[in-house]
Amino acid sequence: MLLNELTQALSRLNLAQVAPGDYAKTGCHLEVEAAPAQMPEVARLMLEKGCFLESLTAVDFPEHFTLVYHFNHFRELCRTVVHARVPKEAEAPTISHIYPAANWYEREVYDLFGLKFAGHPDLRRILLPFEADFHPLRKKFAPSETPADA
Amino acid sequence: MLERGLEEKFYVLNLGPQHPSTHGVLRVELQMEGEFIVKADPDIGYGHRGHEHMAENRSYLQFLPNLGRVDYLHALAYNQCYCMAVEKLLELKVPERAEFIRVITCELNRIASHLLWIGAYLLDLGAFTPFLYCFDDRENILDLLDRVTGSRLTYCYYRFGGVPRDVDDDFLAGCKAFARRLRSRYRDYENLVNKNVIFLERTKGIGIISQEQCVKYGLTGPMVRGSGIPYDLRKCEPYSAYPLFDFDIPVGSTGDIYDRYMVRYREMEQSLRIIEQAVDKIPAGPIMAEKVPKRIKPAPGEVYTAVEAARGEFGIYLVSQGDTTPYRLKLRVPSFGNLSILPEIAVDTLVADLVAILGSIDVVVPEIDR
Amino acid sequence: MATAAHSVSVFGMIAGLIGVMALVAVNALFLIWMERKVSAHMQLRPGPMEVGWHGAIQTIADALKLLGKELITPRDVDKPVYLAAPIVIFLPVLVSFLVIPFSQNLIIRDMHVGVLLILSFAALTVLAILMAGWASNNKYAVFGAIRSVAQNVAYEIPLLITLMSVILMVGSFRLTDIVAAQNRIWFVFVQPVAFILYIICATAETNRAPFDLPEAESELVAGFHTEYSGMRFALFFLAEYTNMFIVAALATIFFLGGWRGPFLPGLVWFLIKVYAIIFLIMWFRWTFPRVRFDQLITLSWKILIPLALANLIVTAFVLKLV
Repeated sequence: MLLNELTQALSRLNLAQVAPGDYAKTGCHLEVEAAPAQMPEVARLMLEKGCFLESLTAVDFPEHFTLVYHFNHFRELCRTVVHARVPKEAEAPTISHIYPAANWYEREVYDLFGLKFAGHPDLRRILLPFEADFHPLRKKFAPSETPADA
Repeated sequence: MLERGLEEKFYVLNLGPQHPSTHGVLRVELQMEGEFIVKADPDIGYGHRGHEHMAENRSYLQFLPNLGRVDYLHALAYNQCYCMAVEKLLELKVPERAEFIRVITCELNRIASHLLWIGAYLLDLGAFTPFLYCFDDRENILDLLDRVTGSRLTYCYYRFGGVPRDVDDDFLAGCKAFARRLRSRYRDYENLVNKNVIFLERTKGIGIISQEQCVKYGLTGPMVRGSGIPYDLRKCEPYSAYPLFDFDIPVGSTGDIYDRYMVRYREMEQSLRIIEQAVDKIPAGPIMAEKVPKRIKPAPGEVYTAVEAARGEFGIYLVSQGDTTPYRLKLRVPSFGNLSILPEIAVDTLVADLVAILGSIDVVVPEIDR
Repeated sequence: MATAAHSVSVFGMIAGLIGVMALVAVNALFLIWMERKVSAHMQLRPGPMEVGWHGAIQTIADALKLLGKELITPRDVDKPVYLAAPIVIFLPVLVSFLVIPFSQNLIIRDMHVGVLLILSFAALTVLAILMAGWASNNKYAVFGAIRSVAQNVAYEIPLLITLMSVILMVGSFRLTDIVAAQNRIWFVFVQPVAFILYIICATAETNRAPFDLPEAESELVAGFHTEYSGMRFALFFLAEYTNMFIVAALATIFFLGGWRGPFLPGLVWFLIKVYAIIFLIMWFRWTFPRVRFDQLITLSWKILIPLALANLIVTAFVLKLV
């Protein structure tokens, strides 16, 4: 069983939480909490087990950002969600050297949240124009009152 | 940006944002040596509309029409995923008849998407005629879906807890008639396209993606199935009424363009099988769940749901804080991950190959840009 | 007949030139309409239906529209070359008509180097495409031009060699002699391989699909004429269709017995055969995907040229034996 294997391997990494998830409720089989600095380690382990990076995103909470990584496996359904809290104005380490897929996802998070990834090879904006001076998915961001074409 | 790593002997060719083969406003910056590509750098975001930001600023129901505009070619799968996410948060149980209707319409929509892809893809390869044949078949689906959903492209048909309008017997008979019609067309497609020597020469052994690359780049959909990984969420993570039906997952062997083409081509037949079984077995009963709250205000929590869309896995990560609007809604779109492999597989190919590879990824640019 | 051709008066030449101009225009109008109709019926649609009987004068409406379009000259083009290219592409196709025998008597000048004249002037088309592509100062256009040069050079060789095997049998470059030599049997039955090779090469020579790489839409936008608009664009279009007529006429003369045929006058037979060949070339276009550039060149150098040479040698050998 992949789930047991992952649970065992992940608990060896000294993470804040490794617990089975309520699949019917959240759609995830395994819920993990990690410090951002531990992410490269976690990613390396997930890649070793043959998991792919399903999605990488962030949520802007009042006191901190939470990076949310979803991993899944092609052969055996086992969705692992990893939450990593990043304090505001702090940087998170990149995992794009482990999962090339993360390259674009991290650029997207940077673009929309302004959260920087240390060690990312090419941290440019990806969806917004390069000259944009805002990060729209921050809760503080308020769209201007003027029409969009102004 | 243009100056990055540019050496004297290379030159830059700007493919797009307005180019016949980028299928929308996608720009690929190519560094070329003669006709060979040294480096390809996709530049996306020309059609960014901020769907995720919109989701945080309107009620759950108000966001529903947006989904049809994320991927306009397989809008119903996106409807499905969002409804599933909210239904999970609300703990709603969808009646069986509604699930069947969802499956039928979603599969019809998938065939329409694949037909359009096949036509447009062959157009990329320089064959004009199959495009019209595909559109002729697709037209039937649009008419069918028009009857039940009320629109021809950007469908917004599913609701939290079911579907708003029931299907009639004419629609079900129409589905069967369409299945017969599409099957009678296979011979034309096989003779015109699948056995064409030029087509085989153009597609075999080009743009090979290994299974290892599939894992590293998080590819989904026909991209991984072309490489031989039978990853199809309808089977791997059964949702809706899919476990009730008998169908196969077509997979390729080498992972080249041809395999990805054949996977999509064969998937149409599997979708037909699902539709036929669903039409035969559709139960009577209600089409809406009983206690759907008027004001949708889910309890705090987060949920990840995923469905198999025509292009791959479409996922929604939804965070609720007990409000009438989502706190955060992430759209995990398949084309975004699938396109990110382009820089790696485009190197050392010709421009003509790049067009073929780009086409085989089946990008829907508005979906990438969101 | 040959002496009659030599004594053509100045008046005859002028009348012939006017006739050729008229033919080129009418032919292009007809071919464009024909292409649209052929493609439409192959694609389950009716094609133009509104202007005239089944859209018969749709092309005239389109031509008038093109005449009214603004002639855009981009800022950074190489102006003299850019402006000259549409004219340069159009002149050689006119010259080719001088030597084509439409029927026994309908020929402007029956030269004894007829084939060579047509082929050498056809080679000038490449120059015009190169001029257009280079002067446009656009990467896609240059791409198209480079491809066009490589393609035409590669395909002129097998084209010439296949025609050589027929010329070897007749012993003359004069087109009327070649038609006269087919009084018993058309050469298509004697030289089937040469005919097939010729049709392939002719399709490539005229840049038609599946060999339409110089203007491959899905790769190069519009290839060498990306930056041309209005009537300048129309001239390229006109030249393409006239070229099609010329290669089809050559095929008719070399393989299908020229104007020969029962009951109907020679001119009618000639045109029927020419348009039948053109229909065949159109059929290719609306059926096949496009080949890749390296495959195109490989096909020519590794398959067509050896085949054509083998055919020539066999022809020479058989002729020596007989």
